[in-house]
Amino acid sequence: MEQSNLRSQGPARQRLLYLHARTPSVFSDILGLTRVEPVAGFRAEISAQVQDWPYSTVHDAVVDGWQVVQFPQHQAPFDDCELDLVGYEFILQKMEVIEE
Amino acid sequence: MIDAQYLLSDADVARFIAQGYYLVEPALPEGLNEEIANRLDELEENPGDAITEAVPELRQVLDHPTVRGVLVSLLGAGYEVQSHRHWHCKQPGSGHMQWHQDSTNSRDVRIDRFLGLFYPREVTADMGPTVIVPGTQFRNAPTDRMATYTNIRGQVPLVVKAGTVAFTHYDIWHGTAANRSSAKRHMIKFLFRRTAPSEGPTWNHDPASLNRPTNWNQKDGAEDVNNILTFLNPLGVSQSDHYKERAIRRRCWDQLMGKG
Repeated sequence: MEQSNLRSQGPARQRLLYLHARTPSVFSDILGLTRVEPVAGFRAEISAQVQDWPYSTVHDAVVDGWQVVQFPQHQAPFDDCELDLVGYEFILQKMEVIEE
Repeated sequence: MIDAQYLLSDADVARFIAQGYYLVEPALPEGLNEEIANRLDELEENPGDAITEAVPELRQVLDHPTVRGVLVSLLGAGYEVQSHRHWHCKQPGSGHMQWHQDSTNSRDVRIDRFLGLFYPREVTADMGPTVIVPGTQFRNAPTDRMATYTNIRGQVPLVVKAGTVAFTHYDIWHGTAANRSSAKRHMIKFLFRRTAPSEGPTWNHDPASLNRPTNWNQKDGAEDVNNILTFLNPLGVSQSDHYKERAIRRRCWDQLMGKG
């Protein structure tokens, strides 16, 4: 019965979550969060409202069923004086059937 | 000359260096903000650099001692109001603007130029406020590589009263939220520049402030130069990044003190 419902709603789609963590550890605090929903017309946008994020760390998101599909690159060149991007980017996905 | 009451304190200057922004609410003549906002409402095209000719009342903002006090403090008495300025009108229904740094990625860690953003009308959260990320002004990050960031812990929406001027470091990460209100959100951007190297502090400097030991109990809560430059971490970045920030802040401070 459940399988037939899934078929009627189409295949699972990839939800994406970009988390910018304080360090490359999955246990470090998140500094940035972008959620991308696989729905036509969806746009992630900067908000002027108080931030209420569902996760504090990458590990929190993993516990909630998100899978890491890209880890930050430890072998990337670094500079000990200059600053560039904020945090370390983890990209996570969740495959779900989306009801529109 | 400007009355010393309008100059910044040591702590103000240190916070500008560390956070990359400073807000003032000059006591402008009654009705001036409304007059400017109404004139902007009626403009049919963007006059670009000629916005001060189109709305000459804006000069009263630039000449206000509260505004001049910040400029003298950070850029010296010979500061220049550059000819480039721009009216940013965020129309009702317009979407958000992605994070970016202006210009190319040749970043300058000296405080030789910065922006002044004037808001003649109150900006509420639904009016598409400018949003800035304190502490990012020293990051050399190509705008393309910011495309996967949306909301950043510590970002500050400039939800401000009418008449506010936000002084922002030229390189601070900034964007806007969407304007979901029915009102136009006006902002006039001015660019200010230092014309001569600093030969010493041009703000209300207390030499004793530099001799006080760092207060490890109050950390960035202390209104003290050493504490602010050492501990302020507006985004909560990693230890590695924070150490680099400290070094850059010290170079900025020394430059303003005439030692750089």
